[in-house]
Amino acid sequence: MVLTPEQQAILEGSQGPYLATCMRWLVEWGDVMGARRLIRVDNTHALLPVPNQMARGARRETIERYVEGLREACRHRTAPGCYCTLHVNFVTLDDITLKENDPEQVGMQREIADMAAAAGFIPTFTCAPYLVGNVPLKGEICAWTESSAVVYANSILGARTTRHGNESSIAASLLGLAPEFGVLLDENRKGTLRVDVAADLTSPTDWGALGYVAGKAAGLGIPVFNGVRRPSQAEAKQLCAALATSGGVTMCHIAGVTPEAPTLEAAFHGDVPAPSLTFTNETLREAYQSLRQRTGDDIDSVILGCPHASIREIAEIAALLRGKRVAQPVRLWIDTARGTKGGADAMGYTKIIEDAGGCILCDTCPTNLRIPARRIVTSGFKQAHYARGMVGAEVIVARLEACIRAALAGRWMGDE
Amino acid sequence: MSESFQLGGRGVVKGRAEGIALVADATLSFWGEVDAVSGKVIAVGHPLEGCSLRGCVLVIRSTKGSSGTPLTLDLAKLEGTAPAAFINVEVDSLAALGCIVNQIPMITDLEQDPFASIRTGDRVVVDADQGVVIVTRDC
Repeated sequence: MVLTPEQQAILEGSQGPYLATCMRWLVEWGDVMGARRLIRVDNTHALLPVPNQMARGARRETIERYVEGLREACRHRTAPGCYCTLHVNFVTLDDITLKENDPEQVGMQREIADMAAAAGFIPTFTCAPYLVGNVPLKGEICAWTESSAVVYANSILGARTTRHGNESSIAASLLGLAPEFGVLLDENRKGTLRVDVAADLTSPTDWGALGYVAGKAAGLGIPVFNGVRRPSQAEAKQLCAALATSGGVTMCHIAGVTPEAPTLEAAFHGDVPAPSLTFTNETLREAYQSLRQRTGDDIDSVILGCPHASIREIAEIAALLRGKRVAQPVRLWIDTARGTKGGADAMGYTKIIEDAGGCILCDTCPTNLRIPARRIVTSGFKQAHYARGMVGAEVIVARLEACIRAALAGRWMGDE
Repeated sequence: MSESFQLGGRGVVKGRAEGIALVADATLSFWGEVDAVSGKVIAVGHPLEGCSLRGCVLVIRSTKGSSGTPLTLDLAKLEGTAPAAFINVEVDSLAALGCIVNQIPMITDLEQDPFASIRTGDRVVVDADQGVVIVTRDC
C-alpha cells in the first residue's frame, strides 16, 4: 500500500504510540486484503464492548488487559468530520436484576461509554445503527462493525463498508481512514451468484429464511435476488442479518431495490448468469424446519428484536400484546436501541408491553447476555442460529404473530 | 514412522507457527460459534462441534458470520486458547484482522486442496513468511 507522508509519519509515531498501532492495523489489514491506499471515511460504527459473559470464566488478567485496551482507545478523539457511532453489545447499562449482567462489568462499560462519548462517539448502543440516526447516504464511505448492519448499509442504503471488526472500527474512527478494498470499489460490488425467488414471502422472518439459505450458498460472495418484491424495512433487516449468519456476506443486491441495481443486469454489471439457487416454498419450509429441532413444545423464552427492533416493530408487538398476559414462566424479551426505547416510552408502547409481562432490553440481547433458557421461540434466524450454541437452548424460529401466540400460551402453538 | 511433505501457498498474515491440524471443509464464526475461554467450537451441528481450537492449525474454508470474530480471537489469545495458525481457502476480512492484531499466521491458496491433503491430527508447520506448509503424519 502507498501511504501519504502524513500517514507514514503517524505510522512511525508522530501522533503517539496508540495511533501508530491503529495505523499499523489499517495498513497491514489493507495489504492483506489487496488495498492500494487508505481513503477518507465519513462514518463509522465502532465496537467498544466489555466482554461480560463472552469471557465467562476467564482469568482476571484477561479482562483487565482487554478493558485497558478499550480505555486506551477512548483517550483519543474521533477524526474531525467523521460521524462515529458506538455499540457496546455484551451488557445492558439499564438497572436490571439479572446475574448474567455482571455489575462489575456494567460499571466498566459505563466508564468506557462515558470516555467514548467524551472522545466524540455517539452512544447508539445498537446492532442496527441505521434505525437510530446513523443512516449513511448512497456512496458514503463507512467503517461499520455489526455484520447485519454492514449488509444493510451496502445493499439497502447503497453506502459502502467492508466487514469491520473492533480494532479496525476504532482505528477508522480515530484516524478517519480505511483501507480501500472489497466493496469500497465499484468492480467488487458485482453480484457473484443469482438466487431466483419463487416462494411467497409474507413476513420479515420469511425474508430471514431466504437470507439463511442464500448466505450458506454465497459464502463470502455477493448474492443477487431476482423476482422478489420490495421488502419492508423489517424484512430487509432480517434478510441482511441472516445472510451474515450462515454466510460471510458483505452485500447483496435485490434487483429493483438496491440503489445501484435497478435491474438484474445492473446487479451483475451486465453479465447475468443462470440461477445458482431457486428459493421455492419448499426451500422456505425446510429453512424453518432446520431451526426447529426440539424435544417438546413448552417454552420458557421468546426473543424478538434481532437485529434490534424498530419503533414500527415495537408498535406491532404492543398491538398484539395489548390487554393480554404473557404466560408464566415465559420471559418475553424485545431487544432494541435505547433511542428507540425512549420513543416507545413516550408513545406508550413500553407500558403496554410491560403490562403484558414483556420486557424491553436495551444495548444487548439475551443471547449475548447468555441468559439461561431451555426452549426459545424467536422471530430472528440469526438469534435462532446462535442461541443453540451460545445458550444451549432448543430453538423454534417463527413469524412474529406465532411468537406472540407462543408467549401468551407458554407453549409452541404452531404457525397458524 | 512418519511421513512429511510440503505444500506451497500464499502467506496472508506473516509469521511462523506449528500445531496439530484441525480440518473441516466448513466456515466458522468465532463470535457465537466459539467459546473464547474454553477455546471450543459451540456451534450446534458444526463438523468441529466440541473440538478445542487451542494451539491448533485451523484448516477451514473461511470465517463467516459475525463481526465479533476479531474480538473473540483477542479474548482467546489472552486466555491462551486461540489457534496457532490458520489455513483458509478464502480470506474473510474479519479473520485477517483478528490474525493481524493477535499475530496469528495465516496462509491461503495452497497448491493442493487442503481438505484432501491435510488431515485432522497431522502436525503442521505454517510458515507464512516463506509461503509454505510442512505436514508431518504418523503412519
